[in-house]
Amino acid sequence: MSLKDIFSPFTAWGKAFEKPVTIKDPIAERPGADRYRGFHKNDISTCIGCGTCETICENEAIDLVPVEGIETKDGDSGLRPRVDYGRCCWCALCVDVCTTGSLSLTNTYTWVEEDPEAYRFTPGVDEKPWDKEEKGWKKPEPGYEFYNLNRVTMEHLEPEERDDTFIEMVKGFSKEQAEKEADRCVECGICTATCPAHMGIPEYIKAIRNDDLEEGLRILYDTNPLPEICGRICTHKCETVCTLGHRGEALSIRWLKRYIADQNPSEKYKKILNSEFIEKNGKKVAIIGSGPSGLSTAHYLALMGYECTIFEKLSKAGGMMRFGIPEYRLPYDQIDKDISYIESLGVKIKYNTQVGVDITLDELGKKYDAVFAGTGLHMGRSTRIEGTDHKNVYQAIDLLRKITLGEEVPLTEHIVVIGGGNVAMDITRSLARLQKQKYGKVGIITTSLETEDKMPADREEVIETREEGAVVNPGWAPQYIEIENDKIKGLHVAQCYSLFDEEGKFNPQCNLDNLQFFEGNMVVESIGQGMDLSYLTEDLKHDLEIDRRGRIKVNEYFQSGIPWLFIGGDIIQGPDVIHGIANGHKAARGIDEFLFEEKKDTPKP
Amino acid sequence: MNEIIEHIKKRFPVYEIGEGPNGVILMSVEASRLVPMLTSLKTNHGYSILVILSTVDWLEDCKFQLTYIVNNPEEKRDLGIRVFIQREDAEMESIHTLWEHAATFQREIKEMFGINFPGSPGVDDQFLLEGWDNKPPMRRDFDTKKYAEETFFPRPGRETNDPAAYMKQKLYPDE
Repeated sequence: MSLKDIFSPFTAWGKAFEKPVTIKDPIAERPGADRYRGFHKNDISTCIGCGTCETICENEAIDLVPVEGIETKDGDSGLRPRVDYGRCCWCALCVDVCTTGSLSLTNTYTWVEEDPEAYRFTPGVDEKPWDKEEKGWKKPEPGYEFYNLNRVTMEHLEPEERDDTFIEMVKGFSKEQAEKEADRCVECGICTATCPAHMGIPEYIKAIRNDDLEEGLRILYDTNPLPEICGRICTHKCETVCTLGHRGEALSIRWLKRYIADQNPSEKYKKILNSEFIEKNGKKVAIIGSGPSGLSTAHYLALMGYECTIFEKLSKAGGMMRFGIPEYRLPYDQIDKDISYIESLGVKIKYNTQVGVDITLDELGKKYDAVFAGTGLHMGRSTRIEGTDHKNVYQAIDLLRKITLGEEVPLTEHIVVIGGGNVAMDITRSLARLQKQKYGKVGIITTSLETEDKMPADREEVIETREEGAVVNPGWAPQYIEIENDKIKGLHVAQCYSLFDEEGKFNPQCNLDNLQFFEGNMVVESIGQGMDLSYLTEDLKHDLEIDRRGRIKVNEYFQSGIPWLFIGGDIIQGPDVIHGIANGHKAARGIDEFLFEEKKDTPKP
Repeated sequence: MNEIIEHIKKRFPVYEIGEGPNGVILMSVEASRLVPMLTSLKTNHGYSILVILSTVDWLEDCKFQLTYIVNNPEEKRDLGIRVFIQREDAEMESIHTLWEHAATFQREIKEMFGINFPGSPGVDDQFLLEGWDNKPPMRRDFDTKKYAEETFFPRPGRETNDPAAYMKQKLYPDE
C-alpha cells in the first residue's frame, strides 16, 4: 500500500465544497413535445357529463362520477369523467370525440406518487400541477370530426310554392336522410330528462339506424301516443339541450320521430304495438276534451283495460292540435292517423257534447269511476284597448277554429295582428294565405310588445312568416284602434322599451314620443288564451284548491281536491302538446292507482 | 421538384399524385415497383434518408396502405411514396438493403399489423408486445375493448353512472 492510497479518501473530502463535475439527475425539466399526449385536463364548466368519452374509451379507463357543487339539471347530467391511469393508454379518442370540447390532454407525462389510488382522479375537479398547462393534445381543427356537425337539411316547400296553400310545407326525411341524421346521435341521453314526456330518444334514434322502425314505433308509444303530431309540431325542448348543439347543430330529433311514424302504416299499428287483445277491467273513465292530454289519458287507460269515453264539445277530435295549429304545419289526416289508433283501442268519442251544457260534471262523476278534464285554453284574451269592442276585431283562436271547421273567415285587404307568439304567427300566416287566394296579394302586419329578440314565437316561424309576405314589426305597444264612420282605419302603437318591472312583474313601459300607425280594416288579437271552467259548479269549486293566478291545484298525479276528478293539459301545465301528453300519461297512472286503491277500501265519494 | 416528379413518372407507373399534410407530395405506385423507385430516389435524386414507414388498415377494402416518407437533406424536402397491398397473408418486399434502420420499422409493423417482410433482419422478434398471443393489435378488426375486458380486472372501488339514468334518478325518480 502506497502513501497515496492512505491519503486519497481525505483528498476526496477536500473536493466536497467544489462545484461538481457531474450533473444532477433529473437533469432539468423534460417537457413533452407540444402536442404530446399526457394527463387529462377538463374544463368542468363547459363539460356537461354526456359520457361520450366513457363510451369511446377502448380501455374502460373512464367513469362518470357525481361532483360536489355541480348540479344535475337540464342539459347537464352533473357527472364528470374520472380517469383511471392504470388503464388509460393516452390514445386521446376521448378528446377527439368530446362533444363540448371541454376535454384535452396536456403534454405533462411525468408524475410520481406512492399511493396507486392517486392515479385515479377527476380532471378539472381534483387539482393537479398541470391544470394551467396550455400545451398538449387538443382536438385538431377544423374538419376533424367523428360525427357531422351539421344537420341533414330538411326540405321545405319554397315560399312561392306555399304562400297561397295549406298543403304541408315540411316534406319529411327520406330513408337515406333519416339514417344519415340518426347517425349523428352520440346516444348520451341528456335530452331525455328535458323532454316533458321523457321519451326514449336515443333508443328510437338507434332503431332508425338499425332500420327497425317497428321497434322505433314501440319506443315512441311507450311515452307518447301522438307521434305523427309531435313529430311535426312538438316544441322540441329536447333539441335545445342536445349535446351536439354545443359545437354544431343539434340533432333534428323531432323530424326523426316523424320519420318513424310516417313510415309505419296505420293498419299495422295494432300488431306492431301488440294491442290487438286487451282485457277489460270493468271500470269506466270519462274524459273531457279530446286534446293531447285527454287523448293521452284515454290511450294509456285503454291499454290498462279501462273503458274510456271522451266528451268533445266540437265536431272533431284533437283540440288545439286540430283547431289551433294550421293545416300547413299539421295536416288533418296525420291527426286522424294518431286518433284513429287510439279509437281502435276501444276509446269512444262523443262529439258535439259540451260538459256543463249537454251533461254536467256531477253526472259524469256519478256515472263513471273517475273523470279526467283536459279542457285547454280556448278563450282568446283581449288587450282591452280602445276600439277592441268593434265587430271587426277578432280573436286569433276563434278565426283559426273557423278555418278548420271550413266556415267563412272574415277577411280584408289590410289586416293588423297583435301578438308575438306562435299563435300570432299561425293566424298571420293563415290569413296571409287566404288574402293571397282572394286578393292575389298579402297585406298583413303583425306587431308585438316584445322586441325581435324577445318574441316568444319560434325563430323559424318568424322567418317563414316574413318569407310568405307578411310584415312582422315587433316592439310596439298597442294604444288604440282608430275608427272612422264605424270602420276600422288602423292601430296606433307606441314604442315599448321594457316589459317587466324590477320585481319581474309584467308592466310594459312605452315611449310616447315614438308613435306609429299600422293601417288596416280588421284587427286580430293574439296575446294569449284563458280557460273556460264554466263546467265547474260552485259546489265543486268549493272542494278545489285554486291558487292566486286562478290555476287549480293538483297533486303529482294530476288529482284535484275532488278525488275522482283529475285535471291536466294546458290548464295545469304548458301550454304545449308534449306537456299535455306527459300529464295525460301520468294522470292515467294516477287514476289506475286511485281506482285500484278504491277497489280495496272505501266506496267512491 | 416538378422535374423529379416528371422524371419518376416517366420511369415508374405512378398512378396517383396527391398532397399530404404540410404540402408533402404523395405518390402512389404499384407495390412491385416500390424498391426500384426508392433506389432511384436515393441514388439519383438525393433522397438519402428514410424518415418513417407507416401503415393504415383499410379493413373494408381488404387492403393495407404502406407509406414511405423519404427526405432530401440538401433540399430539405420530404417525399411520400404509397403502396397498397392485399390484407390477406400480407407481405411486402423489405427495404433494409437500402436503409438498415428500416428493419426496425418493419419489425414493428410485423408485430402490430401482421405484415411480413421476408428477409428483414429480426422481423419475427418481439418488439413491444412480450408474449402476445392474439391478433396483431393495430388491425382494425382487433377488438381492443373486448381484450381489455377479458385481460384486465376492474380495479376495486370503481363505479360509474349512465347519464340518462342518473338524471332520471335525480330529476324525476317517480315518472
